[in-house]
Amino acid sequence: MGVPDASGDLSSEMEVDAFRRLFPLRYFERHLSESVRPDARPLGRARDTTLALGAVASAHGSALAKIGSTTMLAAIKMEVMTPSTESPDEGCIAIDFHMPPICSPIVRPGRPAEAAPVISKQLSDTISSSGMINLKELSLVSGKAAWIAYLDIYCLDADGALFDAALLSAVAAFSHLQIPIVSLNDDGKIVVILEEDDGTKLEKEPVNREKRKLTLSSIPFSLTCILHKNYILADPTAEEESIMETLVTVGLDSSSRLVSFYKPGGPVLAYTSAVQDCVALTRQRVKELQEILDEAISGMEID
Amino acid sequence: MEFVNPEGLRLDGRRPMEMRQLRAEIGAVAKADGSAVFEMGNTKVIAAVYGPREVQNRSQQINDQALVRCEYSMANFSTGDRRRKPKGDRRSTEISLVIRQTMEACILTHLMPRSQIDIYVQVLQADGGTRSACINAATLALADAGIPMRDLVTSCSAGYLNSTPLLDLNYVEDSAGGPDVTVGILPKLDKVTLLQMDAKLPIDIFENVMQLAAEGCKAIANYIREVLLENTKQLEYRRGL
Repeated sequence: MGVPDASGDLSSEMEVDAFRRLFPLRYFERHLSESVRPDARPLGRARDTTLALGAVASAHGSALAKIGSTTMLAAIKMEVMTPSTESPDEGCIAIDFHMPPICSPIVRPGRPAEAAPVISKQLSDTISSSGMINLKELSLVSGKAAWIAYLDIYCLDADGALFDAALLSAVAAFSHLQIPIVSLNDDGKIVVILEEDDGTKLEKEPVNREKRKLTLSSIPFSLTCILHKNYILADPTAEEESIMETLVTVGLDSSSRLVSFYKPGGPVLAYTSAVQDCVALTRQRVKELQEILDEAISGMEID
Repeated sequence: MEFVNPEGLRLDGRRPMEMRQLRAEIGAVAKADGSAVFEMGNTKVIAAVYGPREVQNRSQQINDQALVRCEYSMANFSTGDRRRKPKGDRRSTEISLVIRQTMEACILTHLMPRSQIDIYVQVLQADGGTRSACINAATLALADAGIPMRDLVTSCSAGYLNSTPLLDLNYVEDSAGGPDVTVGILPKLDKVTLLQMDAKLPIDIFENVMQLAAEGCKAIANYIREVLLENTKQLEYRRGL
């Protein structure tokens, strides 16, 4: 069967689409041999990334991250809890990643997607091991009350590189987070003061004076790459992920230290040189993501 | 508590017959066959439609019409306190059923036998009227997916507090304990497909409130038509027609 030419008229357009469906691997390899991908990106470039802070008005911190078509909405709600006896002056973070059926035709209602708990665990591990958040900042009254931050990330559109987008939205939500003001009421319980009470005089002394933000050190960013023969493709789409299955996710922090490295098997075995190339691509990407995050934060502050 | 002050303004400054601000966007989810985001004031809902596609569970296949499935779920952060069980609880199951039956009435299912149409609705922010926002978003998403329908389905809620019929209740007014009437109509055919009410109301006042909700539905239908027309113009423009 002759490989059709990608010229302008309608009949060869239909053949190209059929070729893409029937022989996906050959379709991609034809592009890779010219060092380009079907959406005209060079092999090492990631898709356009946008970040919007404060997407959910009712949450204490939130962010919407889009990498290409992959869309993640992260929101943080803070609640008060009693800290554990082993760490009486530390708060807690609970991260949950959801893939509702709207995000992809493969996800069925009633049966959660396979990728969801995997990414959930990866996120918790990366965020806790990067040391981005100092849990002592989440403490209110040592031994009696501390904050628990519930971070919920919803995937609204799954088009590849889910972990990258999820991590970006989580990090952005934490940088947008404002801890609410609380005071101690008569029963010795901590009560959240609502904003509308600002006009009237507060009967109790607030435990913390004003809404404050968390100080984030060494923010982690990541990049997922696909290994296929000798090629390394950065930031795959869902189509690319389903055809070429070997994924490598590298997580670096803002000072380019390696935070996490994840290669869960896959048919392609990687030489050390491939690993180093992935890390180099990630280093570049981290700079881009850092800029995007800084722009989004300064955009919020102007408001 | 006073829901309508002596000057005739509600808690959020609206007049009794005024609806909240509407905002709709088509094609939010690239992977779905059709999708839409619909906002009514602070209530924000995203709907995605997948279909018509092959039935996933062969035993449920219907030979002369399409199978319509619907799932409604609320995000954990959508309400004031964080929800522990976003779906599978009774309220979500009931609303899923209501939305499915409402949309099934207007989709021309006999044109797509042995296939399945999935409507998924996710509530991102809940401030009263989530049921109506979900139906409106589902209508837009079905139109975006190109699924043949008899007519648009629009929905709106109305209530009766402080002896005044109020249109489009928000969360505070809804939880006040007064009656809450939700109406879903097919605007061009002027037929009612959904009508739900709880709490007590005398019949003549009920007719007023229902009429008010139906007017609200017609206003939403006009807005939805504008949005669809604008979307089609954009598509034509991009195709160079």
